[in-house]
Amino acid sequence: MTETSIPSAVPRIDTAPRRRRLSGLTSGLVPWLYLAPVLAVLFVWIYWPLFRSFQLSFTQWNMLPTATPRPVGWENYTNLLALPELQQAAMNTVWYVVGLLPLSVIIPLFIAILTQDLRGPMRNLYRSLIFVPMIVPPIVAAVLWRWLLNRDYGLVNMILAGVGFDPVSFFSDPDIALWTMVWITGWKLMGFSTLLFSAANGTIDPGYLEAARMDGASDWQITRDIRLPLLSPTILLLVMMTVLFGAQWSFVYINAITDGGPLGSTSNIFFLMWKYGFQTFSAGWSATAGVMTFVTFGLLALALQALSRKMTFHDD
Amino acid sequence: MTTRSLPKLALTHGAMILLALLAIVPIYWMIVTALRPAGDIFETTLWPTQVTFGNFTYVFDAIPMMRMLWNTFLMASAMTIAQLLTGLMAAYALTRWRFRGAKAAQALIALSWLVPFQVTMIPNYVLSTKLGLLNTTTGLVLPNAAAAFAVLLLLNAMKSFPKQVIDAARMDRAGHARILWEIIVPNLRAPLAALAVLSFISAWNEYFWPLLLIRRIDNAVVQIGLQMFMSQEGNQWGPLMAAATLASLPVLVIYLVLHRQVIESFMKSGIK
Repeated sequence: MTETSIPSAVPRIDTAPRRRRLSGLTSGLVPWLYLAPVLAVLFVWIYWPLFRSFQLSFTQWNMLPTATPRPVGWENYTNLLALPELQQAAMNTVWYVVGLLPLSVIIPLFIAILTQDLRGPMRNLYRSLIFVPMIVPPIVAAVLWRWLLNRDYGLVNMILAGVGFDPVSFFSDPDIALWTMVWITGWKLMGFSTLLFSAANGTIDPGYLEAARMDGASDWQITRDIRLPLLSPTILLLVMMTVLFGAQWSFVYINAITDGGPLGSTSNIFFLMWKYGFQTFSAGWSATAGVMTFVTFGLLALALQALSRKMTFHDD
Repeated sequence: MTTRSLPKLALTHGAMILLALLAIVPIYWMIVTALRPAGDIFETTLWPTQVTFGNFTYVFDAIPMMRMLWNTFLMASAMTIAQLLTGLMAAYALTRWRFRGAKAAQALIALSWLVPFQVTMIPNYVLSTKLGLLNTTTGLVLPNAAAAFAVLLLLNAMKSFPKQVIDAARMDRAGHARILWEIIVPNLRAPLAALAVLSFISAWNEYFWPLLLIRRIDNAVVQIGLQMFMSQEGNQWGPLMAAATLASLPVLVIYLVLHRQVIESFMKSGIK
């Protein structure tokens, strides 16, 4: 930026050394000027608050500006870890992830392989249609599934009644509600994952498949020994996304539809943080749950990263 | 591959049709319910026996829908522009120069999406209160004025940009701002457009931060308005579906026009 201000009319002989000196001086600073906006936003709104949450987790505070946080040491941690509510939410978080994996990885992978030979105009139509849930606003998805799965008049229960089943209480039965939340979260992802797998599948060198076929390999053998290894980077990417973010994605639906209930059966750790923070105003507890979650998922991310380096197969 | 049996073909289309129906029927049902008069709300015909826009007028009377759509449009546009600009600058810095700390800076950017929103929300809320950002569009935009995925996407695009062109521009003594603005940006039109679409849709669908920051319906973005409407109206399915239709209409229209580009840009950036 400093260099643009040098008028081009200045004789070359004069500017050359000065320019060199200038750029030598500024090259240390200029890149940081260009990085400054992004780094400033990340620092102010992500990294500094992350650090503040660490501090808050050792205090008790009701979030009133007039009150100051009172230091309590590790008390929040010991209290929370002994709390059944937190144990339930932590366990539910695991169920959310486990429940999502079939919807975000296994079924899409299966469909992508099954439909790999699909060509022609129908292919584009299918692609465009199955992707739609991904762009629908999450709160709209919450509202419309609340209607579709309504116990008395929802379309799904109407259809179930039509084939002779009793109506299902998708949101108020503690044994079912969590899986309903999982379904809504997965509904948004299924088409997207399928397209991601299809794209990766399409890049596989047909020569490999032809060669295997010449050697008399069956469809299943080709899938197992050629396709799956070559798809492993995509599989791991989606597994990682689901593990790290699946429970976060379901937050909207929990907050908008069940509020964690019935009997805490749909609550997960991210919803609990929200509840502690903005429903019961115990900032210390919320921060503590946040720190524990962050550390757990951070370690999980590292482990998955290591796993993906070891396990995935790249076609070079 | 060349021998395609009929059952296999049927299975292929069957799987795709099932998946397509699962994706589309809920959205179709939302629109159809919105068009049914109050007395017919529970009918299950594929198309309303009687079409009415009464539910939509009900929504416009009950909540400031136009205002909220406008608020959301403002927020999403501002966020998109900010993310493009900050992303361009950061990506330029990381590709143009080799400097001490570049790796660390890139890691800081890439790792930022590992921090869950819920972990930072209380300090962020406190800061916003102190800065007087509650109930403002500025407050909604500021924390999202930079996005890791924007930087990384542009970084990838710039890496493949021919170095010779930039070197030639340097010979002409063009400054960095000019190189970025007049040479790189016009050549990155495609990735920039893809990113803009992606940012706009993500911003439009933004839920969590507005939920914290916005308490008055006049300042609400449409997602929060819809949530407030839902807790007020409970089981008024007709108006609720009309409001939901309106809240998703802009992204659905964008998708109708640009579906191929939207799919491409979402797939390139992973999930956001």
